[in-house]
Amino acid sequence: MARYGMMIDTRKCVGCYACRVSCQMQNELPVEVSFIKFHEIETGVFPNVKNEIIPVQCQHCEDAPCESVCPTKATYTTEDGIVLVDPEKCIGCKYCMVACPYQARTQDHLTGVVEKCRFCVDLVAEGKQPACVSTCISTARIFGDLDDPNSEISKAIVKYNAKPLREDLGKTKIYYVR
Amino acid sequence: MVWGTIIAAYLFLAGLSAGAFLTSSYISRKYPKAVTVRMTGRLISPALMGIGLLLLIVDAEAGLKNPLRFIYLFTNFNSVMTIGTYFISFFMLAAFYVALMELLKKDVNKWVEYIGIVFAIGTAIYTGFLIGVIATVPLWNTAILPILFVVSALSTGIAGTLLVSGIVNKQVVHQVISVKKIHLSLLAVEVFLIFTMFLITSTSNEAAAESVSSLIIGEYSMIFWIALIAVGLLLPIVIESLELINARKMSQTVEGLQVAAAGSHSIAGTLVTETSVLIGGFTLRYLLLAAAVPIAFL
Repeated sequence: MARYGMMIDTRKCVGCYACRVSCQMQNELPVEVSFIKFHEIETGVFPNVKNEIIPVQCQHCEDAPCESVCPTKATYTTEDGIVLVDPEKCIGCKYCMVACPYQARTQDHLTGVVEKCRFCVDLVAEGKQPACVSTCISTARIFGDLDDPNSEISKAIVKYNAKPLREDLGKTKIYYVR
Repeated sequence: MVWGTIIAAYLFLAGLSAGAFLTSSYISRKYPKAVTVRMTGRLISPALMGIGLLLLIVDAEAGLKNPLRFIYLFTNFNSVMTIGTYFISFFMLAAFYVALMELLKKDVNKWVEYIGIVFAIGTAIYTGFLIGVIATVPLWNTAILPILFVVSALSTGIAGTLLVSGIVNKQVVHQVISVKKIHLSLLAVEVFLIFTMFLITSTSNEAAAESVSSLIIGEYSMIFWIALIAVGLLLPIVIESLELINARKMSQTVEGLQVAAAGSHSIAGTLVTETSVLIGGFTLRYLLLAAAVPIAFL
């Protein structure tokens, strides 16, 4: 059993949106729907300012708020720590969308089912990397097992002192280098 | 706005329905002769809840297309929505039974009515907890919100019951003076709760402050000050106070007693008051959903 997570190095991200497009293709999403949202913020004080591009998707929270509020148990966490939505159980009440601290969920307008990043479970089951990771042109994304201290991601998190977006909003499985 | 006007209307109708049920239970004990008011409360309660539930079903698109999925609503006891589903189910069963007995002119089993009272209160509280437990939205995430929703539910419940009763039979409204007194104090408490909530929550963090300022000076300030505060709260407080003063005067003079006995005085005040309370009740839910600003995570 693994505890899958991701590290995103925003210093390497050039904002090319390749991850978003590959995600849309992998998950067969329409053009206007995406599981990855790009946020651009300015930090620092003049003249030492920088422009940060931060791709945000489902953070796969531990004790996910979306999972606890879901009245139908459509949202669940796999043994490998991936938060998923069972499309056969979702009624589209949007309680999870209201509760998500990262506004990472979208509603499918054809079926009404609420969806989000799935860490490409099908690819991962085949031993492959999620689509956003393998397509990233600047290797800004690393995917792997957070519980394995020898995995590439665990070492990188230590090396770059990567942190969740907001630790005070709860533990997540996506770490950012900023 | 993930949850919009439809959900605001549902929250309003659920509170109104629960409030109407409680009003009719109170009336049936305190004023056994006020049959019209009691009947009205008992009949509108399940009808309004039914409309509210239809709105919910329409809003839950995936369930609308696969209705059997709604059974799963009973499965997650960690979710306030599941708890609410149980409350509403028991409340609806009791409210339907009571309404049916009223139509058949049979005696209502008092234990069923007590169960109805308990779950009516539960339904009113749950609408507040539903959004109150969302830590992501600081405007909602306050302990005072469920209390505000219960007070508003009772006040709209009384308003809905008296409005419909008044239209049906204009004499009955003056039979139930103590309800008017309760109504007036509920409205005053509501004003206090709204301003307490805004004052305290706006100091807690940036997102909360943003929500509150959008309501009192920003995007939603016109709706807030006119529809909620002026029309929904202050206007009914003023008219209701005048009516109560007038009612006291009438009970002290011979002419007044004659007018009261004849039932020939106007109920315009009641109609205006109750309508504006209902406008205020819906506006409160709408504004709280519209002005929800989530915590900034970057």
